[in-house]
Amino acid sequence: MTTMALERAQRRGAAALAGREVRRVLSLWTQTILPPVLTAVLFLAVFGGALGARIREIEGLPYLEFILPGLLVMTVAAQAFANNSTSLFQAKSEGYIEDVLTSPLRPWQLALAYMAGGVVRGFMAALAVALLAAPFAGGVERPAIAVASLGLTGLVFSALGVITGIWAETFDQHSFIANIVITPLVLVGGVFYSARTLVEPWETLTRFDPVYYLVDSARAGFTGVHESPLWLSLGLTALVAAVAFATATALLARGWRLKP
Amino acid sequence: MPNLEGPSTALFVDRLTKVYGDGTHALDALELRIPAGSFFGLLGPNGAGKTTLIGSVAGLVRAPARRIFVFGHDAARDARARLLVGLAPQEIHLDRFLTVREVLVYHGRYFGMTRRDADERADELLEAFELTAKATTKPNRLSGGMRRRLLIARALMHRPRLAVLDEPTAGVDLELRHELWRYLRKLHGEQGLTVLLTTHYIEEAEALCERVAFIRAGRIVDEGPPADLVERRGGERLEDAYLSAMRS
Repeated sequence: MTTMALERAQRRGAAALAGREVRRVLSLWTQTILPPVLTAVLFLAVFGGALGARIREIEGLPYLEFILPGLLVMTVAAQAFANNSTSLFQAKSEGYIEDVLTSPLRPWQLALAYMAGGVVRGFMAALAVALLAAPFAGGVERPAIAVASLGLTGLVFSALGVITGIWAETFDQHSFIANIVITPLVLVGGVFYSARTLVEPWETLTRFDPVYYLVDSARAGFTGVHESPLWLSLGLTALVAAVAFATATALLARGWRLKP
Repeated sequence: MPNLEGPSTALFVDRLTKVYGDGTHALDALELRIPAGSFFGLLGPNGAGKTTLIGSVAGLVRAPARRIFVFGHDAARDARARLLVGLAPQEIHLDRFLTVREVLVYHGRYFGMTRRDADERADELLEAFELTAKATTKPNRLSGGMRRRLLIARALMHRPRLAVLDEPTAGVDLELRHELWRYLRKLHGEQGLTVLLTTHYIEEAEALCERVAFIRAGRIVDEGPPADLVERRGGERLEDAYLSAMRS
């Protein structure tokens, strides 16, 4: 077999695994898409509708418009992470990951294929939330920036999901990362407030949270309003995405917690 | 001297040692050569290293480079080796999100088959293993025997040249065991497939294997055609030769 034929086989294999992951998301849509959409809509109804009228504008924006980009980032992040950590954990704990581990796929292709499911799940849920919120929110100021921000969110958190799925040996460990690391990072990332309005040390601490930059750049894309330079937000989060992807690939290459 | 890493040798294992994280010495400088086209049996007690050896060949157990060669390809470094091996593991783990037919199709596609080729091959194997009527059923709704057949069909899906079957008849009834033997003989005879079979059933090795190796404590203690082993070790049957090898 020539190198070209091998690479073609590997590409087909990676596409098939990505297809399997996306198919899992779609076939379980009542568990993968519906709940996050309902949660985000509730956030919008409570914070944007019920409380929004009592909160003054933030950065010159109505409160609902201010929080919508962050809610989309939150939705993509939580779903991309949950999808991949769960899918890999299940495949590992039920043993059927061996079908993939014996395949000729290269480690980076495995990582990318698993990440595809998380990115698709995050985007589908975010798209549903955006469509439901559209009548109450303004248009999208800079669509490319908005898509890039949500895309980077998907990449960062789906790679973290792969890492967690590889690491977790019990369901408790798997839940621990979601509850103790991911949720707090997202909630203190400036979804519901502007970092500039915080007192020290909270403003500085917020700026150490990578989610803050994802929220800020998404807000720039949707509303044109942002606190940090866009190059910094997008560059920093692209770097975090690259490091997370490289780590997931390295763990798969080593077979850490997958192969004895 | 024959080229042990070349294409006339299906599997060549060169002084492979495997020590697990807990200190267990699973394989101890194990050496093995399986000629291409042969039906090869690996016999040994529990904990002898059979599953570790098979896992190392198929990529489920970490193994060092330049110790395992599949048709001349380094199993630890060259992805071509993966395409040449079809594994039916001892434990039955099947993707519960897929149907029986999809288990086969997705496996074929993970191994680089086109959608059309995978579809055709899956139908062919479903028929050969008498699973066509269960094509749209989820694997967890199959009987134990059917799942075992599906596992072997999956191993053959991407047309490997070396089928590695880890105790494929463990826990199946006598009738099904003989049925599986018939399939395995047919595959080996008609397609020239090299088969590496591990088993606890001596009569299974006698019935199927052209060559047999005895493994004990991570080393091959004897190897050859069953008749030669019986002659060399004394006794009347392969069972006697096996017991002699395990006691020596």
